[in-house]
Amino acid sequence: MSVISVFNGLYCNEESVISGVAEKTGFRQIQDRDVIAAAGKLSGISNDRISRTFSSQTSIFNPFTHEKEKSLAYLKLAMAEMLAQEKLLLTGFSSHLIPAGITHVLRVCLIAEMSYRLAQAEASHTPEKDAQKLIRKSDEDRSAWTSLLRQEKDPWEPALYDMVIPMGRISESGAIDLIVANIHRDVLTPTAESRRAVTDFLLQAQVEAALACEGHNVDVMAREGHVTLTINKHVLMLSRLEQELKTFVSGLPGVKSVATQVGKDFHQADIYRKYDFQTPSKVLLVDDEREFVQTLSERLTMRDMGSAVAYDGESAIKMAREEEPEVMILDLKMPGIDGIEVLRRVKETQPDIEIIILTGHGSESDRKICMDLGAFAYLQKPVDIDILSATLKKANEQIQLKKSVSHSD
Amino acid sequence: MKKKDSILQAATYLFSRKGFKDTSMAELSRMTGAAEGTIFYHFKNKQEIFLTILKNLKEDILPEFERYKGEKSFKTGLDMMEETVSFYLYVAGLKEDLFSILHQRYPYELAETNPECREILEAIYNCFVDIFETAIRAGQEDGSIGDLPARKSALILFSMVDSLVRFRMYNLYDVGALYNEMIASCRRMLGKAKR
Repeated sequence: MSVISVFNGLYCNEESVISGVAEKTGFRQIQDRDVIAAAGKLSGISNDRISRTFSSQTSIFNPFTHEKEKSLAYLKLAMAEMLAQEKLLLTGFSSHLIPAGITHVLRVCLIAEMSYRLAQAEASHTPEKDAQKLIRKSDEDRSAWTSLLRQEKDPWEPALYDMVIPMGRISESGAIDLIVANIHRDVLTPTAESRRAVTDFLLQAQVEAALACEGHNVDVMAREGHVTLTINKHVLMLSRLEQELKTFVSGLPGVKSVATQVGKDFHQADIYRKYDFQTPSKVLLVDDEREFVQTLSERLTMRDMGSAVAYDGESAIKMAREEEPEVMILDLKMPGIDGIEVLRRVKETQPDIEIIILTGHGSESDRKICMDLGAFAYLQKPVDIDILSATLKKANEQIQLKKSVSHSD
Repeated sequence: MKKKDSILQAATYLFSRKGFKDTSMAELSRMTGAAEGTIFYHFKNKQEIFLTILKNLKEDILPEFERYKGEKSFKTGLDMMEETVSFYLYVAGLKEDLFSILHQRYPYELAETNPECREILEAIYNCFVDIFETAIRAGQEDGSIGDLPARKSALILFSMVDSLVRFRMYNLYDVGALYNEMIASCRRMLGKAKR
């Protein structure tokens, strides 16, 4: 018997659909919390920490902790162990842990237009403003998750699924019937090949977990006991690392052979990043125009500046505290706490953060207020990316100067 | 001396003292008396001079390590480890040019995009770490060194000893005063008795 996986956007009436499918098929439902609990048991990491793996917010500026990799490896392991059974209904983030090679899984995605989602939220007594915020955050997490696991930023991309069901254009019972009708299709019947893929996945997950515990971060592929490791990180003493990995992995149960290779990014590391000390590395973008900030964030990344995004004043202040950015690019007009207030509060508690105001609606008096409050620069939208870059460079010089002064104290 | 060799000699001097980036072709030209055109006749660019030097230094140092490996007569592997530490420090003192280049950032940046540089550096570091690993394995065979992961321990030991070279190069401390304690620490780290 096959397996069904359901991934969904927030407020897409997923609960009713999922429970309807569970009822009609009798499949056992496995939710994220079940997978997290199993992963917690296997790894000894607390469930709370493991669940952070699903959030796009974890460790934006902190690529040095291996916790996320370790948690992810154990989530995969937990999932691989669960897939030993069939007749499962897997829901939530965990559904993407299943590799594409396992073909007896019907992969379903439930998504809907924003108007439908907001209506759903309203039905559950969530005010529209909160609902918008929740949806945005949740979509962001889902996008980070699919890009991490499937190299696809769009979490609703049809290529990731067997069926994407547009909720709102199809009724709840229609969606349930559609899913149930499809599980009996021939292509979803487990074959020797797809069951072998489950065994391969289990070994892959075991190896990944063991490697993650050792602090290694390499890609693992397994096929009938033959393991291929791909090294993506640039290491000078490569042959030593390869030997080490081979010795370690070949000692793991179920491994018949180990091969190592280097990934495509190994040789052509981005040398510009190493040379470029002129730009700040941690930039926080604050603007409620979602599309604008995302584009800006991408463009900054292309210029080797790491950026994080906040869509309202409140989260901007929170992130400034937690993520300690070097520079903040701030819009003035936002719902809730506005830009000027954010500027005032951040400068009060963290005067070292340089703040560049970027606004479409500012007046001369706004400019004066901002500069008096300690803003680094005041720019008008639309902004030329070169001008913004140059301003960021100047801000960075200012930061470096301050750092060197405080060090020589 | 041939013009090409004198360019290399002067460049080695400049690279090892001023670093790759702070060495200008004009300066190299002044030091050697060779016109910049002549330098570019022999070498495509500054990077090629650097790679030639690095390759020469490698070819110069590898035989030293081979010789060392050939002449071992130690009571135990742990004694061999002690000898290895002092041999490494001795070579580092002897080949100052190489070691000062190895303690710069540039070669490693270059290695990320230039396979030839990568290979030279990997060969150099392999032969450095090998002698530590050989000693550890020998010690594990004769029972003087505990049952620890030889490959990783060799790397940790090496990074400790190599930092001492940096200490001396930049005069961070009077390294002579650390030597005995360094050896004692290695013995404590690797020795079987207390594990």
